[in-house]
Amino acid sequence: MIMRLDRIGLLAVPGLAFLAVIYALPLVLLLFKSVQGVDGLTLITYIDFFGDEFNQVVLWRTLRVALLTTLLALAIAYPTAFAMARAKGIWLNVFLVALVLPMSLGVIVKAFAWSILFRSNGFLNTSLQSLGITDEPIRMLFTETALIIGAANVFLPFMVLPIYTVVRQLNRNLPEAASSLGATPWFRFTRVTLPLTLPGVVAGSAFTFSLAISMYVIPSLIVGERQQTLSMLIARSFLYLRNEPLGSTISAVLLAIAIFVVLFSSWLAGRLGARK
Amino acid sequence: MQGQASHLPPNEHRYLDVIGVAKSFKGAAIMDQMNFRVAKGELVSLLGPSGCGKTTLLRIIAGLLQADTGDIVLGGRNLSSLPAHKRNISVVFQNYALFPHLTVAENVAFGLRARGTSKADAARPVADALALVRMDAFADRPVSALSGGQQQRVAVARALVVSPDLLLLDEPFSALDRKLRETMQIELKALLRNRGITAIFVTHDQDEAMGVSDRIAVMNKGKIEQFAEPSTLYAQPASPFVMDFVGLSTRLSGRVTEQAGGIATVTTNVGPVRARSGLAAGTPVLLGVRPELITPDPTAEMNQISVQLDDVMTLGSKTVLHGATTDDDNFLCELSGIRTDYKRGQTVTWGWAVDDTLIHAVPA
Repeated sequence: MIMRLDRIGLLAVPGLAFLAVIYALPLVLLLFKSVQGVDGLTLITYIDFFGDEFNQVVLWRTLRVALLTTLLALAIAYPTAFAMARAKGIWLNVFLVALVLPMSLGVIVKAFAWSILFRSNGFLNTSLQSLGITDEPIRMLFTETALIIGAANVFLPFMVLPIYTVVRQLNRNLPEAASSLGATPWFRFTRVTLPLTLPGVVAGSAFTFSLAISMYVIPSLIVGERQQTLSMLIARSFLYLRNEPLGSTISAVLLAIAIFVVLFSSWLAGRLGARK
Repeated sequence: MQGQASHLPPNEHRYLDVIGVAKSFKGAAIMDQMNFRVAKGELVSLLGPSGCGKTTLLRIIAGLLQADTGDIVLGGRNLSSLPAHKRNISVVFQNYALFPHLTVAENVAFGLRARGTSKADAARPVADALALVRMDAFADRPVSALSGGQQQRVAVARALVVSPDLLLLDEPFSALDRKLRETMQIELKALLRNRGITAIFVTHDQDEAMGVSDRIAVMNKGKIEQFAEPSTLYAQPASPFVMDFVGLSTRLSGRVTEQAGGIATVTTNVGPVRARSGLAAGTPVLLGVRPELITPDPTAEMNQISVQLDDVMTLGSKTVLHGATTDDDNFLCELSGIRTDYKRGQTVTWGWAVDDTLIHAVPA
């Protein structure tokens, strides 16, 4: 077989080199620590990690929060993407600015703004009480619900944009063809619009889930130490406990989940796109 | 042929009846008081330049666009308030709009499945429809693997398998190359005729409209200028627009200077030209002559003009002579076969029968 160097392929070399040195190498060194025992390689840290009931609770919570965040973001983003795809001129700009501008604000500003909204004497609670819907303030801050709402807000652009891209490319004659062939709006949506926009949904969900499973700042600010997530455990292991093997182990678990999500979503996207 | 506005066939031929349809976008009227009738089994074209409202009319009939006022009646059923999916009108789109996530057979089955037919019950009619368009060998292929002509066949099969009351085709041949286009036109026309399908083609291509239709509605600025058989449109265009849009012609502008017994004598830049018309002296007019009706060997009773040849185009089956254009006038003559006896720069006398002169009064 003749080795043939694609000259265009050479353009990827700087990026690959950068990733190899700055991302892959330190990651491998870090992960190596998780299996480095006193006398050779060991899986003891993994056995310890998964054996600990507290860790199981945190792992499950991390997965649950990431999943619910993804679902909430999806529920809001999906119809929004259609409105955006239909929007023209000034309205499209309004949508894009509304999506992108909050990203530049930073999570910390948002988190403190939310606390004004969510706290017991905050805007939401005073409104609910003055409307007579509730008698007492409801606990909102420091709850998993607040975390999910906050995270979905921060990650919303990562869900909207991939779906928007797919919806915008959707041939508008396709739903029309479906209608003229006798399809009710529901049949048309489930058999044409939804299947054709699923690749965007998969991509957006993979982005959002990956971001949500590894988020650190948002839970630190919204729920604090009360309800830890895997990322917070990692930080605690390295910063306070000085337990590098534990921190590396949790990192490896998180990485495994992320790799699974990426592989699964690209497999799913490939399956969905296979017939095109 | 002035004032021939009978777009309306006798009542017993009324199958599709478009009554007083009006539509405007953002305050600008696209069409106003559109009336249009098609008989059962008829193949009709809406022919006109882009922006004339032909696609708008098609979309209103299909239910993809809501008219501001007016009614669409099909086979005695008023469709005006029905959504597209309840009209039983199939549409073949310009880009075919095949569902990219479905196979050829799944695309064709779509309409039946949407109507609640089970997969098993749909198999037979789908296979028949694919056989009809000679695409049965491609049933399980993804539609992206098909050529333009094959995609069009699938789109037609998909539209016909549901036995529509009316078939609408929006520029169905424009994405095909010239040779394939003609083959597909012949094929599709035969198919629709055999099955007695009533169909409306939307097109900007006069050859296509002439080739596939029983009648053609020539549209301009939201109005039907003339609705007639192709031969009538060509031989007796009702307006300068129709004369220009359907076929080529030698065109002369002038003014009627004499009216005698139904023959108007028109003074033009190239001399007097007679036409059968009752137009009074003083009327500004536009004259037209179809190029194949002009002869370079005129007889005495013919209209005669002297033309300097600007170009001689030998096209094989015919030779086209272009005269030097003066002002808005243009000179075009077609002779059959290859003619080597005419040269550029030569001055020749052209003639044509008085009855072959098309004449239209124009605003002064």
